[in-house]
Amino acid sequence: MTTEHRAPGGGTIEDIVAVPDNEVALESLSQWQLARRRFRKHRLALIGLFIFGFMVFLAVFGPLIVPFNPMFLPGAIKAGGDQPSLAHLFGTDANGRDVFAMTINGARISVAVGLFSMIIAGVAGVTVGAVAGYFGGWVDNVLMRVVDVLFAIPFLFIILVSSRFFGKGDVLSLVLIFGLLSWPLIARLVRASFLSLREADFVDAARAVGVGDRRIAFRHILPNALGPVIVAMTLLMASNIVLESFVSFLNFGISETQISWGNALANAQGALSFGDWWWAFFPGMAIALTVIAVNFVGDGLRDALDPRSRE
Amino acid sequence: MGRYILRRSVQAIPVIFLIAIVSFMLMQAAPGGPAAAFNQNPKISQAQIDGWLQRWCLERNPDVVGMLREFGGWLGVYNCSGGGLASSSGMPNFLPAFLGGGSNGVLHGDFGFSIFTGQPVLGMILERLPATLVLTGTALIIWITLAIILGVIAAVKRYSLFDQAVTLFSYIFYSLPTFWLGLILIYLFAVDLHWLPAQGIINTRSPFSFNTPAYWTDFWKNPGPALVVIGQHLILPVMTLVAVSVAGDSRFVRSSMLDTLSQDYVRTAKAKGLSQRTVIFRHAFRNALLPILTNIALEIAFLFSGAIVTETIFDWPGMGRLYFDGVTNRDYFLLMGILLIGSILVVIANLAADVIYAWADPRIRY
Repeated sequence: MTTEHRAPGGGTIEDIVAVPDNEVALESLSQWQLARRRFRKHRLALIGLFIFGFMVFLAVFGPLIVPFNPMFLPGAIKAGGDQPSLAHLFGTDANGRDVFAMTINGARISVAVGLFSMIIAGVAGVTVGAVAGYFGGWVDNVLMRVVDVLFAIPFLFIILVSSRFFGKGDVLSLVLIFGLLSWPLIARLVRASFLSLREADFVDAARAVGVGDRRIAFRHILPNALGPVIVAMTLLMASNIVLESFVSFLNFGISETQISWGNALANAQGALSFGDWWWAFFPGMAIALTVIAVNFVGDGLRDALDPRSRE
Repeated sequence: MGRYILRRSVQAIPVIFLIAIVSFMLMQAAPGGPAAAFNQNPKISQAQIDGWLQRWCLERNPDVVGMLREFGGWLGVYNCSGGGLASSSGMPNFLPAFLGGGSNGVLHGDFGFSIFTGQPVLGMILERLPATLVLTGTALIIWITLAIILGVIAAVKRYSLFDQAVTLFSYIFYSLPTFWLGLILIYLFAVDLHWLPAQGIINTRSPFSFNTPAYWTDFWKNPGPALVVIGQHLILPVMTLVAVSVAGDSRFVRSSMLDTLSQDYVRTAKAKGLSQRTVIFRHAFRNALLPILTNIALEIAFLFSGAIVTETIFDWPGMGRLYFDGVTNRDYFLLMGILLIGSILVVIANLAADVIYAWADPRIRY
């Protein structure tokens, strides 16, 4: 080793060239690995993820855990239901139904509506946004006017009308209604990233070597545009869970043959005025807890995936 | 500036037209259609139904052309009493009445009649407007003031105990379902503590309902106590709206304030040795105000339509409650009217937000 071979960093060129492979791998973390690392440092997001995981667990296995059938109507009914006790942890409602069982079982439908409507909105929003942003021109113009219209109509108005008129009281119709109405925000985000990314050098390079349109849009541009979309989808799920509970609370959503958190609250307004707080309190707490958890996760994802937007 | 506003207004016209189509299609696609609502009312005679259908160009089983006619009739382009696109005086129907146009349709201020009450839709909306404006206006003023104060302090004292407390509480309130918060507040303050009335805008035992002429004559006889009653009924719904909205908006103010606090000109101002108060209020806050102003302009649309959840829970006799009742009763004309007016107001609010931004920020060229 001679001095003329010294590299600017201090070591010799041989030192640098001879770096073992495993160390190089450590230096070059992929974007997703970096994001995962940043996410793990976000304590609230981890707590949120844990709570949401617990809710999903309840949604899947809840009915196996709870000793009561939530739809079980005992013969003897006591007006106003029973206060929380050891036998009925969350008390019972006027029909004698166990509120604990209703809360646990409600997780199944409420989480399902939130999760699946988010997936539909994500797929629809990404597709529309990608097509509009990639092709531009009149395609973009037409699609974005549609988005403008959906943005202008007050969201709750159109959700209420659609749930009442087109909902069949089951999970599927609510998932479709919520999913098909809540994609415009995601479409706008995707479009905006596509508009800037399609001018990027790596896209020109891909085009120069003859990569097709679809492959460029979905394999080259989309992964780079996905960060804000994932954040928006998480927050969307939180708001759709709240929305489901409100719509079902008004009896426009899930029918009474099934139990969601909103449904469990439906008769609670009357009960509250007689002082029977437990009907309303526990299902509402379940909604609030889930939504706070999902919002924490969304916040952690924002910091992890979109470091520039960090406050 | 004038040309910018004009250009943006012209761009808004196709959107408004599309909104009209969407609100119309929504009601058309609904199972049963408008005529189904009559089945709920046994007192209506067949002749009345036929006359009503004819008045609005409605048909029992319309084909595509029939639907276009219905849409034209609702919009005011088509003359339902025969004459097609021309009004009774032979001029195009969409012109204002004083130019020889027709009198039916939204373009002429005729939003149809409620199937349920038989009242004109526009009249019903205007009757409910004061209650909504009182509620949302009060809430908006309080929550914007609070959001600005909390957000600015949280940004200036970043990572302090205060900042973290504001962050935590805004997370919690932001995530609470509005209707559930309302229910719990009613339980706490009305049912349990008996401090405040639970529902409505005036006492349930009052002989007159709100915003009727009889109510106002009674009101002016003794306005003081009547205002106190309204104020008492306002507290809980306003609390609900404020709690939920301050949560989101204080975060917004905080981040936009943090944004300006990290700018070079703020550092320059500090380096010049200006007092902290001058730096914060003259240099940072005035610039942070721009996005906040835009946000407020967007929320103005809420004044009209946004309180649907709160109004439903608190039985507040405003627009949101009217819309909820319309959905329950399948009151098609009413729903179409509210949807259209509400959406147009959102479009106007968006326009206002852009104009305010362009006007307030000299860096923006339009």
